[in-house]
Amino acid sequence: MNEPADMDASRPPDLSRPPARAVPGLPPWERLRDYEIWDSYFTPSHSHPGADGFSRVLADLDATRHAVEIGCLQKLCYFPHVGLGTTRDEALETLLRTEPERVLRPFEHWPERLLGMVQVNPHRLRDSLEALDRWLRDGPMVGAYFSGGGPGALVCTHPDVSRLYERVLELGGVVMQHTWQKTGGKGGPNESTPAELASVAPRFAGSVLVCAHAGGEWEAGIRAVAAHENLWIETSGFDATAGFIEMAVRELGAGRILFGSHLPSRSLGTELCKVTAAEITEEEKHAILGANFRSLLGTVG
Amino acid sequence: MKRRDFLASGLAAGSLGGFVAPSGVRGDEASGAAAPLPATVPEGVVDTNTSLGAWPFRRLPLEEAGALEAKLGSLGVVEAWASSFEGLLHRDLRGVNERLAEACATRGGADAGASRIGPAFVPVGVINPLDPAWEGDFARCLQAHGMRAVRLYPAWHGYGLDAPAFAAFLDAASASGALVQVSVLLEDVRTQHPVARVGEVDLSPLPDLLEARSQARVQLLNARLRGELLDRLAAVPSLLFDTARTESTGGVRDLAAAVGAERVLFGSHAPFLIPEAALVRVGEAAFEAGVERAVLGGNARGLPPRSTPAA
Repeated sequence: MNEPADMDASRPPDLSRPPARAVPGLPPWERLRDYEIWDSYFTPSHSHPGADGFSRVLADLDATRHAVEIGCLQKLCYFPHVGLGTTRDEALETLLRTEPERVLRPFEHWPERLLGMVQVNPHRLRDSLEALDRWLRDGPMVGAYFSGGGPGALVCTHPDVSRLYERVLELGGVVMQHTWQKTGGKGGPNESTPAELASVAPRFAGSVLVCAHAGGEWEAGIRAVAAHENLWIETSGFDATAGFIEMAVRELGAGRILFGSHLPSRSLGTELCKVTAAEITEEEKHAILGANFRSLLGTVG
Repeated sequence: MKRRDFLASGLAAGSLGGFVAPSGVRGDEASGAAAPLPATVPEGVVDTNTSLGAWPFRRLPLEEAGALEAKLGSLGVVEAWASSFEGLLHRDLRGVNERLAEACATRGGADAGASRIGPAFVPVGVINPLDPAWEGDFARCLQAHGMRAVRLYPAWHGYGLDAPAFAAFLDAASASGALVQVSVLLEDVRTQHPVARVGEVDLSPLPDLLEARSQARVQLLNARLRGELLDRLAAVPSLLFDTARTESTGGVRDLAAAVGAERVLFGSHAPFLIPEAALVRVGEAAFEAGVERAVLGGNARGLPPRSTPAA
């Protein structure tokens, strides 16, 4: 059995056996295993990986392992910085460009568990396009992440963002666009809302764009994207407010929803239970928790 | 290594062979039947933060009291401290509290055969210290309804904790021995209805107020604390906390480390929040078994409220 007080702090998650103690509130571990959960929004050290390019990510992986094990999260997709100016640490940015192998250290720490979507910077379009060739066309990444804040954020209606969407989709990658619909207005001009993403969606008909966090204020977010079949939503990033998944399934269908954990800055309890505790069918849970993401990646690969 | 290699093993393992789900079957745990109590908490869970009544801005899946009762029962909750969403906006709090007491009295508990049906709902009345009739409301809560705890919604009722009325109420509560639950925030400010934007309660006056009132017993609900404020609140030994909005994978564990696990009481903020979320968050904390058991119920059992028959 996996003991909570595991002395081997750096080992990868062990999903071969249930936890030592059942966790009240979660479905039986065997059911979690059978859901084949793939996490589309994992955020270890999301804003800064550490001065060496990876140490804080590794620390967050270790801190998250228990949650990954009790939730039986089989694969987790996170958003590596790759030296495009997506942090404000110039020394780090230089290091990631000149020693790109550092970007891959987390993948070595958790072999066969991690997927990655590079954090792009639309303010540096040419560099970002080159990075997509390096990391997506020729490398292990499965898509690109478009931030809602920080130096790499640009509102999704900007032409340079569309240019990057086009390239990601040409290469068969996943577009993960951060969105929030905040009461009282945006946090900044470069933040994107679901309605703004919906306004550009028709240009990419036939390809999927993922609306991360369902806009946060999910009632408005779901309704903003509902009419656009190529807009999917991701589930993480806000409190475990009851009714979210039920409305999303009703409006979008379970096939357009991706589970995200937002670990470790958010809790497994909040993010996983949004889906496992929802009043939907087991088939719908299976789709949201992993099958949809695998399908999206499969059409990509 | 190319993308295909990373995906290949996972996709191969991700075939549907290991999972078969009948189409249309609801996977809901709340079947309404008596469920076994969690092995980790054999005496059952106490949820110190639930509400009855209609949330003003959305129809909640567990809004109907019977549904909430069934869900909480399925999760091993044997006692639910319940206040009323009506208390947010209704001005006749006497009526609110009377309906709350009646609703709690008709729900839950065990049948004659001692098989658990659902939790005992323990009413927690709503008090507004700015209301000119608050003292009568408070007296009725304690005497007529046998309540041993009341809940305050300062941000909804338009006062800060630095208001003289709040201090006066704390004096009365201290004298009575009642537990005072202070609701810090009901909904993330970023997602609130635009015509009803209710901010988070400023807790900075609380440490000094409680330092001067050693008999006062206060529990903060729905707080998300960090930094200097957490340090100041942690230094007030009588102050209690709940788990409803304690976020991050280490959130409950960090809270317990800061204030002492004995001062952390399980609370879910159901039905507004999904009750499973707070339960799993306690499991995520990877506490030693005895500590988990205390947080999920032991810490609350020695406290009010426990309904007593009306005098």
